[in-house]
Amino acid sequence: MARAGRAPWLTLQRREAIEAWLFVSPTLIGFLIFFLGPLIAVVFYSVSEWNLLSGEQVFVGMANYHDALRENPDFWHVIRNSVIFAIGLVPLNMALALTLALALSRPFRGVVFFRTVFFAPVVTSAVAWAIVWKFLLQGEGGTVNALLGYVGIDGPNWLREPDWAMAAVIVTRVIKMVGLNMILYIAALQAIPRDYEEAARLEGASGWQIFRMVTWPLLAPATLIIMVITTIGSFKVFDHIYLMTGGGPENGTLVLAYYIYEQAFEFFNVGYASALAMIMFVIVLALTIVQLILRQKGAA
Amino acid sequence: MTSLSLKNLRKSFGTAEIIKGIDLDIADGEFVAFVGPSGCGKSTLLRLISGLEYITAGDLFIGERRMNDVQASRRGVAMVFQSYALYPHLTVQENMGFGLKVRKVPAAEREARVREAAGTLKLEGLLDRYPRQLSGGQRQRVAIGRAIVADPDVFLFDEPLSNLDAELRVHMRSEIAALHARLGSTMIYVTHDQIEAMTLADRIVVLRDGVIEQVGTPRELYTRPAKLFVAQFIGSPRMNVLPVERVAQGLPAGVPAGASQVGMRPEHLRLVAPEAGMLGGKITVSEYTGAASMLHVALDHGETVLVVNNDEGPRPGERIGLTIDPRDLHFFDDAGDRRSFD
Repeated sequence: MARAGRAPWLTLQRREAIEAWLFVSPTLIGFLIFFLGPLIAVVFYSVSEWNLLSGEQVFVGMANYHDALRENPDFWHVIRNSVIFAIGLVPLNMALALTLALALSRPFRGVVFFRTVFFAPVVTSAVAWAIVWKFLLQGEGGTVNALLGYVGIDGPNWLREPDWAMAAVIVTRVIKMVGLNMILYIAALQAIPRDYEEAARLEGASGWQIFRMVTWPLLAPATLIIMVITTIGSFKVFDHIYLMTGGGPENGTLVLAYYIYEQAFEFFNVGYASALAMIMFVIVLALTIVQLILRQKGAA
Repeated sequence: MTSLSLKNLRKSFGTAEIIKGIDLDIADGEFVAFVGPSGCGKSTLLRLISGLEYITAGDLFIGERRMNDVQASRRGVAMVFQSYALYPHLTVQENMGFGLKVRKVPAAEREARVREAAGTLKLEGLLDRYPRQLSGGQRQRVAIGRAIVADPDVFLFDEPLSNLDAELRVHMRSEIAALHARLGSTMIYVTHDQIEAMTLADRIVVLRDGVIEQVGTPRELYTRPAKLFVAQFIGSPRMNVLPVERVAQGLPAGVPAGASQVGMRPEHLRLVAPEAGMLGGKITVSEYTGAASMLHVALDHGETVLVVNNDEGPRPGERIGLTIDPRDLHFFDDAGDRRSFD
């Protein structure tokens, strides 16, 4: 028995603190090894010139960043492509997602079937998706051009012409990923009490007025989040480009994430690729911070 | 003139019939309350009148016009929702003016009408606030204000006070009564709270399982309930119901033909000396509520009845007798219909 005046070391508070640390430790260890470690390593690589073959590492300061931002015209071309990709993809994706969500947020016979149809591409293998679309988008004998032919349009060789290739990767990416935003919009729509719509209807508002004056403003927080995550996702797009075009033709679809991959693993410019990765990290971080600020403003 | 007339009104959702033939006439300027337990169809009936639900069969007349196939917004009704349904992204002024805006009423007239309604409800100082900055009672007033701005022929209230605390509920009840007195409009008020219905309504419609059990003034429902269900639903605490044999020997005039059950309101039962009353029993629980005590009395025959006792009285465990003025007895037959001597 412990005597009065001398508290045992293992108090209830200490014991619960230890338990809590044990519970978070698996995630924490994973975070340190697989996220923070590599991040620090990338910072380190980005200020080095590293020869993978000899294993020789030389500190070069900001030279890699200087290369990207000042010397190498490819970098700005890649940024421009990434921005075009985002500007093309984000509004198209969101408009389509919202339209589908409005149609599929209310129960009707077969609604689950339609939701599944539009969501299925999200969970489909990116490789299978790319193979099928490359086939459909062939210049000669492709299904898309065959269908266009029926209405008298002579379709281009989609993935082989720089401008059309960008449009094609954007559209196929939207069709693949729109289901995710559709689900987010459906959730947001279902969270809006029906009373608002009924009150507006009783007051004489048309369907379009209800959407414009009630539903759309109430969706603003969801729209903001969806916009930011879609934009970030579009800046990080890699697999889709890798599988569809490999950045071509004529670097027409060479976007930032793919460019980093190319520099690191095809040209072995690890230092330069690391500097690019840091730049991408800063871009994504900035977008995330903008989102947080806007969300706090919206909540106030 | 805005009277309403419901003729054999029916509503089904799929195969489930929720409203099973309602016939009801509501006079111009009348305040009518729909009451009944959850699921009795009172809210559905209100939504049929408002136009938020399609009518399956029967006729709905508002004024002289058949409204079955008229859009909700053209029926001349305004509704106050239980949730208030105030648009969170609009100010009080914008909320109240919403209906006028969608109907393209010029901004100047819109503002004048909103200000007038706001004046009526003492909301002038709140016009630039958002709903989240208002208290529950203020939100409720804004919701009513929005209905007033619409200048409807008929006001519909769907359990408007059930989200307020008890004190505020009593206060808002009196405001709604005052509003009715001032506007003189026809009002239909759905509630599950019989006190609200009793205090506000000219007439109460008691609903159960999609049919009307009884329509009458609050006093009629309390003093002459037509059904056992109404007798037990109106009045608090609930009416005691016993087999008619328990009281038969104490009644020189006997009981009405066909009567099998007798109802006695707890506030009508009086305590007398043991063995002196119509009924005898033992007090099991005594709940002191301030103004009165609620006694639970286990009768010698096995049933338990509630008695309201205004005096400082016997304690649990004591034996007592109970008596009642025969005029305060309510007789019902096996089907639950009222039976009387005449």
